[in-house]
Amino acid sequence: MSKGQILRVTGLVALLAAAVLFPVVFSNPVYTNYGVYTLVFVAVASAWNVFSGFSGYISLGHAVFFGSGAYALGIAARDWHVTGVGVFGLLPLAAAVGAVIAVPFGLIALRVRRHTFIVITIAVFFIFQLMAYNFSFTGGSSGVDAPFLPWQASTYNNPFYYITLACAVGMIALAWLIRRSRFGLQLRAIRDDEDRARGLGVHAMRVKLAAFALSGAVTALVGAVWFFYLTQVQPPSAFDPLFDLSVVLMAFLGGLGTVSGPVLGALIIEPGQLWLTANANGYISEILLGALFLVAVLLVPRGIIPTAGEYLRRLTTRGRAAIPTASATVPQAPDPAPAQEAQR
Amino acid sequence: MAREIYQAITDGILVGGVYALMAVGLTLIFGVLDIINIAQGIMVILGAYLSYELAARLHIDLFLGLLVTVPAMFVIGVVIQYAFIRPLRGRERMSMTLLVSYAVALIIEGILYETFGADDRQLSAWYVTSSVHVFGFYLPYIYLFGFALALLLVAALYALLYRTGFGRSVRATMQDETAARLVGIDTNRVAAITFGVGVAVTAAGGMVYGATNSFNPNSGYDLISRLLAIIILGGLGSIGGALAASIFMLTLESLVDIWQPTWAIVVFYAALVIVLVIRPTGFFGRQPVRAQ
Amino acid sequence: MRPNLPWLPKRAFALTGTAVLSVSVLAACSSSSSSSTSTSTSTSSSSSPSSSTPITIGASLSLTGDFSADGINYEHGYELWANDVNAKGGLLGHKVVLKILNDASSPTQVDTNYQTLFSSDHVSLAFGPFSSLLTTPASAVAARYGYAFVEGAGGAPTVFNSPSNQADHNVFDVSLPIKDEMVPFVNYIKSLPASQRPKTAAYPMADDPFADPPVQLAQQELQALGVKTVYSKIFPEEVADYKAPADDVAASKAQIVVLGSTDVPTVAAFMQAFEQQHYTPKLFIAAAGPDQGSAFTSVVGKGNAAGMMVPDGWYPGYASSASQALVQEYVSKYGGNAAGVSSDVAEAYSVGQVMAQAVAATGGFNNAKIISYLHSDVTLTSVQGPVKFDSLGENNASAAFVFQWQNGGAVFNQVLPAGVSGSVAILATKPAWTS
Repeated sequence: MSKGQILRVTGLVALLAAAVLFPVVFSNPVYTNYGVYTLVFVAVASAWNVFSGFSGYISLGHAVFFGSGAYALGIAARDWHVTGVGVFGLLPLAAAVGAVIAVPFGLIALRVRRHTFIVITIAVFFIFQLMAYNFSFTGGSSGVDAPFLPWQASTYNNPFYYITLACAVGMIALAWLIRRSRFGLQLRAIRDDEDRARGLGVHAMRVKLAAFALSGAVTALVGAVWFFYLTQVQPPSAFDPLFDLSVVLMAFLGGLGTVSGPVLGALIIEPGQLWLTANANGYISEILLGALFLVAVLLVPRGIIPTAGEYLRRLTTRGRAAIPTASATVPQAPDPAPAQEAQR
Repeated sequence: MAREIYQAITDGILVGGVYALMAVGLTLIFGVLDIINIAQGIMVILGAYLSYELAARLHIDLFLGLLVTVPAMFVIGVVIQYAFIRPLRGRERMSMTLLVSYAVALIIEGILYETFGADDRQLSAWYVTSSVHVFGFYLPYIYLFGFALALLLVAALYALLYRTGFGRSVRATMQDETAARLVGIDTNRVAAITFGVGVAVTAAGGMVYGATNSFNPNSGYDLISRLLAIIILGGLGSIGGALAASIFMLTLESLVDIWQPTWAIVVFYAALVIVLVIRPTGFFGRQPVRAQ
Repeated sequence: MRPNLPWLPKRAFALTGTAVLSVSVLAACSSSSSSSTSTSTSTSSSSSPSSSTPITIGASLSLTGDFSADGINYEHGYELWANDVNAKGGLLGHKVVLKILNDASSPTQVDTNYQTLFSSDHVSLAFGPFSSLLTTPASAVAARYGYAFVEGAGGAPTVFNSPSNQADHNVFDVSLPIKDEMVPFVNYIKSLPASQRPKTAAYPMADDPFADPPVQLAQQELQALGVKTVYSKIFPEEVADYKAPADDVAASKAQIVVLGSTDVPTVAAFMQAFEQQHYTPKLFIAAAGPDQGSAFTSVVGKGNAAGMMVPDGWYPGYASSASQALVQEYVSKYGGNAAGVSSDVAEAYSVGQVMAQAVAATGGFNNAKIISYLHSDVTLTSVQGPVKFDSLGENNASAAFVFQWQNGGAVFNQVLPAGVSGSVAILATKPAWTS
């Protein structure tokens, strides 16, 4: 293993250890609560990014999966009389529901592109929200309650923290694997130029659908955990129109299409939003939030991770060509380090 | 039963006119700038508040007040486009414009809350609550005037697009921005002015909306999703399509309202999905140009 | 091959890791925190502070977002109560400090807020948020931490039947239970001689757990009486256009309209459509909206408001000295006029009053004792009238009244139950629309 790789792996392990030890060090439920909601969004933003960031199809309907997962868990627990810790065993069901919904949803929506796709995802989102209101098995406007967990307040958050952490870490790992895989390459080819990718033999619909289903399954899983934590789900909170916009912002802020971008975006925005809203002084906070978004988009248009990465690379390769130019006749670069950097 | 159906159809057409007023600006912006303007909903509300202030403080009639609010919103539109939309470039442009327009909507909403508070308002005038008796139906004047205004504006926009040099530039930019630039059209200027026009038309939509519904700064969110559905159905960039789609969707919704109002909106969105599956470009949309 | 998007260089990665850690540290430092050791057991902080220290009461309210108009009214109500209590020396000699966090009408935020209030700010007592949608998850948090949850705006069955309330019985709604709301109105119809009784009724309802139950109950009762149901449909609450359902109601020419509304815009839209259709129901009662005082009359117009009825547990003209004092105080502090005071303010004020009486009776701030006290079938007083809680926390001592705008929309009077103290003659037929 090269020095760079050792450093990277150490950094990752350190991060993971910090995350695992977080509730032990910051055991006040206030912190773990922030942790739970933040990790929920880390997982969702990462899942969203695996589909939308990699394929270029911006989805504003992922709340469909989030809410469906929540409802699936609630309805299953209610109808099958599952209580207590056993409810966690139903989580895979929620993920399966998400994947199953993604198939017809994707088959319809993925046939169109760009803006039309966005609007179809919005339309399907509203259809789901309204169905949640209208059907009696979803509880109508009263929603569904989660089974009661008679746990102590001081440690109630911790199991949820670890489960959401597992979801988030799992999703990040998945995203990283996909990015390195042929599947990820196909997705990015679709993003760059779908027709050309098709011409090169990429089964576009299958690839898109697979990414959509995976993204949907994880989002549904996290939605189910969120529901159990909050103890209740109702149509307007399960299917919240602002949910997707927040996720887009997180992925975008960190860097659309990168693996760590959405993670960073969620880590910055979700706790920030929770704290800012609670202490908001009237609508100044809304104006501030909007202004912050504007600043973020205009100043860091490619996202923090890519911009930071580029900035650092410029620093470390100052004065030397970072990329061996195509016209260079001398095959080896003057210094092996930049060539290694470029190869990554 | 027949009477209910006729009532629903008239309701649908009349209310469709109101939505057309709000949607026309959005589709124009789409067609030329190729962006989803999420702030459109709050622009409608802003137009409603502006009309409200004129009426409440200066007692100016709502339609007359449009002579002030429309130019005002035009200026606001141009400024927003110039400051926030123009700098957006690159591959991520779609998500960037989504976020920027959302940010602008948040800021405007916050300003409206600070200025006007959270209470509901409604515009009032003699023609808002009175109606004309035709064939056994009551047709409220405000909807008739609003529909007439919608037709007028659609005609005016058509005239602008098809009879003026500027309109030619706009249509060229809609077809292919790069080619338009190559031909010598200042697409930046076209984009700014078109955005301004799109927002200005929304002032009219806001006034009629504010007269037919009570509103507060939070009312914008519901609107934008319906408006998006309407313009996609009508075809991006097609003004006549926006009018046709508004009437179609609202009539469909009114008809389903007879049976079960909770399913009427589902039908609204389901109709959109169905039409798009059959015809992805909407009623009157063009085939998307590759590489845009 | 050089990939299109930059891979993450190792140094940037280390930077990210540091950034992540520093963000979490910053979040830790910036929130008002005490020690990082865990809080004790599930019972709340039960120690009595020394008599010079102020006690903090925490609440999360919708100061922005969907419910902001009501949330702000509630804020005013809580603040007025705190001022009054402090003017009289505080609770058991301790000055009351309110800590109100904004939840922007979001359940995730309300959960976070109450956890912050309990675990970080260690408030002694808690007040409820606005709306049943938020009260249910919030009460679960309060149950976990062992707090008594006194509230005034969570009246839907979902609040009382929630698993946490069924287990811990910590919810106390000081306001009128919604299912009883329409009872005086139904009784009024029953009291009319058969020849004068309206023959037909329409029941449009917004899709909301707060608005539907009373209207559906009224429908059952009136149908049993022989009043024919000519329209009964649920419409989506956030529909941007209520015209079509309203026109359908107008076409039904029902003599009574019982509207299941939750806010002013819904009622205003129906009223406007009725006026456009030249249709005036003989009796028009709405579940909510006309009780918002000037926020209602300024939208629909005073003349049109005349005759509109709404059930409630309180109105600004309520002839109790405490209530009148509250109204005067509100007007002098926040402006407006007496008829314009929303019932939200009285609800919030009552929450404070009930808590104060529980504190006084139990002699301290022990939430467990307060909970058992409130469940001990004791009758308490409030500006909304008497308060007595059943085992699920509903106030079964409150009386439902029906109010009506009269005198061309200038006065908001109590009209039902007829003959009860405070009731004036009801306007038996709604005046025609004015414009």
